Amino acid sequence: MTIFSPAWRKYPSIVLASARMRLINISRYPGQLVVDIVIPIVFAAMPILLGRATAGPSAGEVFKQNTGTDNYVAYMLIGSSAFTIVSYAFWHIANWLRWEQETGTLEALYLTPTHRIWVAAGTAVYSCLRGVLSSVVAYLLGSAILGVNPFQGDILIAFLFILVGLVPLYSMTLLFGAVILKVKEANSLINVMQWGVSFLMGVFFPIAFFPPVFRAAALLFPPTWMTNGVRASLLGVGYFFGEWYFDFAVLWVFLLVAPFFGYWLFSRVELNLRRNEGVGQF
Amino acid sequence: MRGSVRIENLAKQYLVRQRQGIFRSKKSSVEALKAVSLQVEPGEIFGLLGPNGAGKTTLIKILTTLLLPSSGDVWVNDYHVQRQENQVRATVGCMLMGERGLYWKLTARENLEYFGALYHLPPPERRRRAQQILTLLELDDIADRTVETYSSGQKMKLAFGKALVNDAPLLVLDEPTNTLDVPSASELRAIVRDLNAAGKTVIYTTHIMSEAETLCDRVAIIDHGELLALGTVAELKASLQREQVTRVEGVVPNQALTAVQGLPAVRTATRTAQDGGDLLTIVTANQRDYLPEIINALTGSGAVIRKISPEEVTLEDVFITKTGRTLAEDTRLR
Repeated sequence: MTIFSPAWRKYPSIVLASARMRLINISRYPGQLVVDIVIPIVFAAMPILLGRATAGPSAGEVFKQNTGTDNYVAYMLIGSSAFTIVSYAFWHIANWLRWEQETGTLEALYLTPTHRIWVAAGTAVYSCLRGVLSSVVAYLLGSAILGVNPFQGDILIAFLFILVGLVPLYSMTLLFGAVILKVKEANSLINVMQWGVSFLMGVFFPIAFFPPVFRAAALLFPPTWMTNGVRASLLGVGYFFGEWYFDFAVLWVFLLVAPFFGYWLFSRVELNLRRNEGVGQF
Repeated sequence: MRGSVRIENLAKQYLVRQRQGIFRSKKSSVEALKAVSLQVEPGEIFGLLGPNGAGKTTLIKILTTLLLPSSGDVWVNDYHVQRQENQVRATVGCMLMGERGLYWKLTARENLEYFGALYHLPPPERRRRAQQILTLLELDDIADRTVETYSSGQKMKLAFGKALVNDAPLLVLDEPTNTLDVPSASELRAIVRDLNAAGKTVIYTTHIMSEAETLCDRVAIIDHGELLALGTVAELKASLQREQVTRVEGVVPNQALTAVQGLPAVRTATRTAQDGGDLLTIVTANQRDYLPEIINALTGSGAVIRKISPEEVTLEDVFITKTGRTLAEDTRLR
């Protein structure tokens, strides 16, 4: 006779098991963990060195006139680290679905009584851990290498922006994952979305430089608010609505709306697929 | 609880996209199942036979909630597949897609424990169950190696083990002996028999007729989405019992086939490909009386007979008679 977990314990247990499984999986690719830390530093170093080459010793001053801070090194490192989190969210959730389709394990998941949303939540926990840890380590290491103080401004508020921003970000990727279940060219689509969102969130520049339409589009994406919140709290570049709690409130609106919309769209696509050839077909 | 399945007027259509050049495509509807009704009784081993593309995978996917039916009703273990899908999933152990469906970078133990979590087993129970399955399938020695290092047969065994994780009353096994060597296949069939003896109901698909004949209590033959025959192996054989089967190996041109089919004594004559030649399966009322007539019709129409053998009726003969082809043929190509 098999013993089953009581209802209240089974969901956290599945989330943990799903996150643990993916952590075990990545532990078998140790080289990837090194790449996770090196890439954000290299990614930030390119515009930093370009800035030094083109603006020379006055780079900080010019940068301050346009952004509100002369610490362009930290500015770029924060953008690059936020990009890492966004990029991982896209690849780990949207591409996770395609990867499970390809290996045949997606159908195996659908054969169990666990709702996919809990497995996705576990994958998101794993992705958050990996993304946030890599970003923080890359930021600290990058700051040491490029000679800036990483511990400045209000670190606690910066972390709050990251934590609250993660939920709508992952909800957005779930929404995007629903599209991946349907389209053939998953990789191209993930790449386009990843770079598109990173561009719009102002990975290396303030979104004030965008034309009005692009600026409006950028403000529809949670990562834009998350990145600016971190920069404003650490470097004092200024919040979109003047005070941190107004910007924080906007992130909360995303947090409350995005998961439902993501879940709704995902469920609709899933139902549609099961009415036709099933979730295993791609 | 003892596993059972009740299917009433089940139909399934789905849309497929056919490419027309580089940018254009056309959608067309495929009728995968047509008004299938059958019942799997508690405690039996139920064989599902059909060539590739016959509709048996679609049927299995509906039973296991992977697909939604277009019409009709299905109850698995007394739960409705659409209205109570979680209960269905919790009470069915599935082995579909063979060695796919496993995480190759995890070990066998990690795979089993992970799926245990998805079936809501508490951690100590997951570990106990995983160990029990590893011991049952004699995978103990390789339990802590990543699956990617396994042979194809070992992966199949583990995929079978995954179906046992939730200790379900109903097992759905889709060609579980594929890629297994002869002793391993025989060992796995013995385990299936033991599990059945312990009370589990089994739905078993195979393309190996002898396997279905020796293992299954009842068999359903399905082709082009239709249920063509249903009964015990003995009943199905008995349906041809008053008839006799003669096999002719050689070269059988169309006119020879037509000539044989035109003989009044011949019920059915079906030609299939075999070893670069033809295999003609002829069902007649009485072999001895009509054999000379058959030989005359064949040789008179240009057939080359290499071997002619009157034989006992087998499940393969039933299958060929009902479907007009062997199990090896792919319906999707037609």
